[in-house]
Amino acid sequence: MPPVHPLDRPEREAEMSHSNRRNRELRAAALLVAPFVFVFAVFFLYPTYKVVALSFTDAPLIGEGTWVGLENYAKLLGDRLFYTSLWNNFYFVLLTVIPTTVIALMIALSVSKLKGRMQALVLTLFFLPYVLPVSVVTMIWAWMLDFQFGILQPLIAAVTGKAVPVFKNPHWVMPMIAVVTVWWTNGFNVLLLIAGLRNIPEDLYEAAALDGATPWQRFWRVTWPLLWPIISLVLTLQLILQLKLFDQVYLLSNGGPFNQSYVVLMQMYREAFQLNHGGYASAIAMVLFLVIVIVSVLQFQLLRIGGRK
Amino acid sequence: MNSTGVQLRSVEKNFGAVKVIKGVDMDVQRGKFAVFVGPSGCGKSTLLRMIAGLEETSGGSIHIGDRDVTDADPADRGVAMVFQSYALYPHLTVFENMAFSLRLAKRPKAEVKQKVQEAAAILQLTDHLDKKPSHLSGGQRQRVAIGRAIVRAPEVFLFDEPLSNLDAELRVQMRLELARLHQKLGATMIYVTHDQVEAMTLADTIFVLQGGHVQQSGAPLDLYDDPSNRFVAGFIGSPSMNFVEATVEAVTPTGITAQLTGQPDARFDIALTTPPATGTPITLGMRPEHLTITEGTGLRVTVDVAEELGGVSYQHGTLASGEPMIFQQTGARHGMHGTVQTVLPDAQRIFVFDAEGDRIR
Repeated sequence: MPPVHPLDRPEREAEMSHSNRRNRELRAAALLVAPFVFVFAVFFLYPTYKVVALSFTDAPLIGEGTWVGLENYAKLLGDRLFYTSLWNNFYFVLLTVIPTTVIALMIALSVSKLKGRMQALVLTLFFLPYVLPVSVVTMIWAWMLDFQFGILQPLIAAVTGKAVPVFKNPHWVMPMIAVVTVWWTNGFNVLLLIAGLRNIPEDLYEAAALDGATPWQRFWRVTWPLLWPIISLVLTLQLILQLKLFDQVYLLSNGGPFNQSYVVLMQMYREAFQLNHGGYASAIAMVLFLVIVIVSVLQFQLLRIGGRK
Repeated sequence: MNSTGVQLRSVEKNFGAVKVIKGVDMDVQRGKFAVFVGPSGCGKSTLLRMIAGLEETSGGSIHIGDRDVTDADPADRGVAMVFQSYALYPHLTVFENMAFSLRLAKRPKAEVKQKVQEAAAILQLTDHLDKKPSHLSGGQRQRVAIGRAIVRAPEVFLFDEPLSNLDAELRVQMRLELARLHQKLGATMIYVTHDQVEAMTLADTIFVLQGGHVQQSGAPLDLYDDPSNRFVAGFIGSPSMNFVEATVEAVTPTGITAQLTGQPDARFDIALTTPPATGTPITLGMRPEHLTITEGTGLRVTVDVAEELGGVSYQHGTLASGEPMIFQQTGARHGMHGTVQTVLPDAQRIFVFDAEGDRIR
């Protein structure tokens, strides 16, 4: 072995240990990320790839199909039921997204006035429905709105003059599903908004009070602008969630009556699992995916511009 | 117009069963700078917030000028407050922060602009009017908070520990700016702090609060020269006063001879007009700056820590009896750490307190 200059050694050792440490860190990082990457790849990336691939074939639900190019998409563009479904989706978004946000904001504002345990209790009550599985939620509401025995029918009768079979009535079905959905998911929005409200320092309100702001002015000039990032988050999350509507429709009205509650995912489900059209169903899924991406990005950008003003 | 700026009469505050302010009377003259000082939890911030109207008053009355504002809304009291956290609206520019109250009052645009520009000029914020508070330094934010108060042209400015979030250097600088601002505006100002140096340098009148009571009020140097009890004596002055236990050995025609407990050769003749009886236990207070080193007999202090600040040094040590003692040295570097020094107080400047902590004069 050639003699090593005494000054060289510690330096080289330092270099070695430096690269060793980096290697060790990389190995640890890879090890920690691996389980997630594996699950993500097997259960998300691969199925996504298969859906994209399937949408260009005439494959049945199980088994391979043959390549048909854009035929599924062309067919979809001429499918009147698809337009009905898409329209119903947007109608549902209209019925839920802004109303649920407004209701959640009002609940959050009143709950935030409560103190300590009382606040926790009331918050829990509002959050409780969110914990329930959708089947339980729909069953509760199907009972309450039952044409013959539902406890809400007297209320409906008081307004309209007679009992209404709401899930079999083309005018009532979407609004009622919207009511059920808002009741079910509102607690989460309340929670997000409460967290946002708590982030606004109390002394801003005190300063505003000293500056002569009325409670109304305090809301519009302090609370609203400072809560806006959370409100736009809630709106965007709601938009995405409500465009993916399926369970409630499937369980409450099954798309009827007269396709009045038929939505895009309902159509996809029927094409895939009842009519055995795997390729066509994949194309529907792809289009819905694109719609969601475009609409939510658009909305988020609009909200950001609105917030800056 | 009433010459009284702010007047408090037997003001009380209870939080549930807890009494925080226990009957406070005070008069702050118009145009004066008053400082509430005291240890944390003494109720000084609560009292300020009661004057602002942010806390309800449980008893007594608060007058601003000749108006009774005890139950008035904060906005109707003619007060502006600068918060410890500055409480700037993060979504608004400096200009809009300062214009906030005028916008709420729907003042004409030209007036808003003029008033904000004026305040900004006073506070050297003219170049920063378009910035958001997050782009400003701590000192600048502080100035915006003050500017927001100036724009409202209030009768009374209230400051709630406004400098405590700034670093030491900036604090000194802002302290001077506040003093100048007070001279320029001539408005009544009430300032809360726990820092007695701020209190001494800014105040026309200091109110020393403790336990929900005003312990003493007066001009800074009056409190320094003539504290009315042991708490005020210990609180005003930096470093704080030394206290040693003693007994009255003899009553003399002019006062007493005090014998220090556990120090047979340390006795002082102190002039008092109402001397306590022989044998009464008393506490003697001596300021570090009134102790001088002597060759003869005196208090023997074992110095364990020396704080050398250049111009002056503070020698921290203990007496033979174990009581802590600080004395001040000026000029030369002494290197007293670890040595035993004999110090003698200026007998004219020894304060005598009884067992309850009240001053014996």
